[in-house]
Amino acid sequence: MRPHPHWIDYSIIGIYFTFVLGIGFVLKKYMKTSADFFLSGRSIPAWITGLAFLSANLGAQEVIGMGASGAKYGIMTSHFYWVGAIPAMVFVGLFMMPFYYGSRARSVPEYLKLRFDEKTRGLNAISFAVMTVFSSGVSMYAMGKLLQLLLGWDFNVAIVVSALIVLVYTFLGGLTSAIYNEVLQFFLIVIGFIPLTYLGLRDAGGWDGLKARIGNDAMVHSWKYLGSPSANPMGVEWFSMLMGLGFVLSFGYWCTDFLVVQRAMAADSMTSARRTPLIAAFPKMLFPFLVILPGMIAGVVSAASMGGNAPASAVVARGTSGEISLQGGKGIIPPKVDESGNPLVKDGKVVLDYDLATPMMLVRYFPSGLLGLGLCALMASFMSGMAGNTTAFNSVWTYDIYQGYINKTASDQHYLWMGRAATVFGLAIAVAAAYIARQFNNIMDVLQLVFAFVNAPLFATFLLGMFWKRATGNGAFCGLLGGTAAAALHHGLTLPTGSATGVKGGFLGVVVHQYPSEMAQNFWTAIFAWTTCFSVTILISLVTKPRPDTELQGLVYALTDRPKDVGLSWYQRPAVLAVVVLTMLVVLNWIFW
Amino acid sequence: MGFDIRLPIGMMFTVFGVLVGGYGVATRGDEMYTRHSLGLNVNLWWGMVMLLFGAAMLLLARHGTAAARSAKTLNSEEN
Repeated sequence: MRPHPHWIDYSIIGIYFTFVLGIGFVLKKYMKTSADFFLSGRSIPAWITGLAFLSANLGAQEVIGMGASGAKYGIMTSHFYWVGAIPAMVFVGLFMMPFYYGSRARSVPEYLKLRFDEKTRGLNAISFAVMTVFSSGVSMYAMGKLLQLLLGWDFNVAIVVSALIVLVYTFLGGLTSAIYNEVLQFFLIVIGFIPLTYLGLRDAGGWDGLKARIGNDAMVHSWKYLGSPSANPMGVEWFSMLMGLGFVLSFGYWCTDFLVVQRAMAADSMTSARRTPLIAAFPKMLFPFLVILPGMIAGVVSAASMGGNAPASAVVARGTSGEISLQGGKGIIPPKVDESGNPLVKDGKVVLDYDLATPMMLVRYFPSGLLGLGLCALMASFMSGMAGNTTAFNSVWTYDIYQGYINKTASDQHYLWMGRAATVFGLAIAVAAAYIARQFNNIMDVLQLVFAFVNAPLFATFLLGMFWKRATGNGAFCGLLGGTAAAALHHGLTLPTGSATGVKGGFLGVVVHQYPSEMAQNFWTAIFAWTTCFSVTILISLVTKPRPDTELQGLVYALTDRPKDVGLSWYQRPAVLAVVVLTMLVVLNWIFW
Repeated sequence: MGFDIRLPIGMMFTVFGVLVGGYGVATRGDEMYTRHSLGLNVNLWWGMVMLLFGAAMLLLARHGTAAARSAKTLNSEEN
């Protein structure tokens, strides 16, 4: 089962590439200072930064991964949005943006420098820079593999072409170009995926038909089965869902990750910066219908209507030229295959290639024409994520590492030049990482695990930094290290049921606790890391010398004037937006209870 | 900064709308619609939606530019 795109599909992809590059070329002449390049001159209106805030996060993991998770766990996946994103987005908009934007910091690590000290910033900047390029590489690898499998495109060509396009438009137009393209990509993804959900749902007989076909009540309710881990397919219970995902992981990402915060920092005013995540929250809340539903549908519809011979009867070896066989799969989700093309079997069950759920939906429901649009939407999601990583990397590299430690007193033009150079080598390292991921899957698994340890405690540091003026630099630094160590320790001493020791856990030799699922283990690792960081930061802060109040103006809640919203209609105010967002959130959870 | 982003968005979707919608007209009754999209000529329908969306964006961009321009003239007159 492989689509055969026609001239029309290639034309659509070609037109999309032309526009993306065109935006970069037109913006080139506006890039005069480093502030233009890294911060868009702080001149972008809220609706644009809002959509870019959403789109930068809308990478490969999102579209492919959430579809896969929908196929595996059903509507429970929506927790990654309704619990794992929206509350944190509201919080960062209302309560944290005043310090990020108001402090005039140019990056998240720079805020840490202003608030705490040099070493805390250095730790954050270096770990962020490394993580950003590597995760960019991992998603590039995922894209290359997917396009190769789905369309028979060459892996090298797919990676090099997409990296080059992102390189050109971020190199020329900096953050503005990335943001503008993210808005374009946002609309493309939405418009490309709406027909997919519509056709899929129509085929499955609407939401009720889909529920009946899935035939597993636990997959069509988001909360009902969270009482005990054994009752739901994710193997987690409500406490770790709320604390692990909803608090630690979600706030850690949306409130501290420079990739998203950078978009808000480019806004034209404090009010716009605060409204950025709130505006993003509206579409974000509805994204489950575009990315999770297709995955759920993929598991229950048949490919039989796709022409005379059901493709499932065709057994074909899969290689660079082979097609995807559905034999042994579920719905239109194909099985994973070994090197000779036979389905992989584990514990008597065929292992499904869930990552192909959403791509197979495109192939199944889109005729030539719409297929080009769907493929464009898929590529747009990869590219917006890649560009987001690239612009975040080049800012942190130039401002926090290069200007911070290597060359402190160069001219602004030199830093602008360095930003462009960082765009080139950042992407070059990401491409290299994509090839490493292809060669040595295990190395990437280990790296991503280490990144998770580093990220887990972050929110405790920012929370204390912004809302407790007594927190000190030494406290923050020790807290971060302690939190990371706690995460590693917890992971090393526990194991999800049925996994072998190693990357999955238990690498310290003793397994003190078995978790019902990998997800439960991850959530608890995060909870341990956060709690440790929080306690260590407080303890060390209490025995070290705090900075005088005069140095903390505008950086800490107690010493900052409340932002005032001047010249806004009542319905445009951040607080009002937040109330509307939270109300909608409750309604959605209620409907899919 | 720079230009109004609604302009290229509007242009791209207008082109997509014409292209996909036109393709839908040209391939009316093609068996690919029964094979893939439940017998619906989705190219035609979705092409029209994209055309409308593109046109709306272009209109907004034009409106926005005009508003920005008159605000500018107003400001310069005040000075």
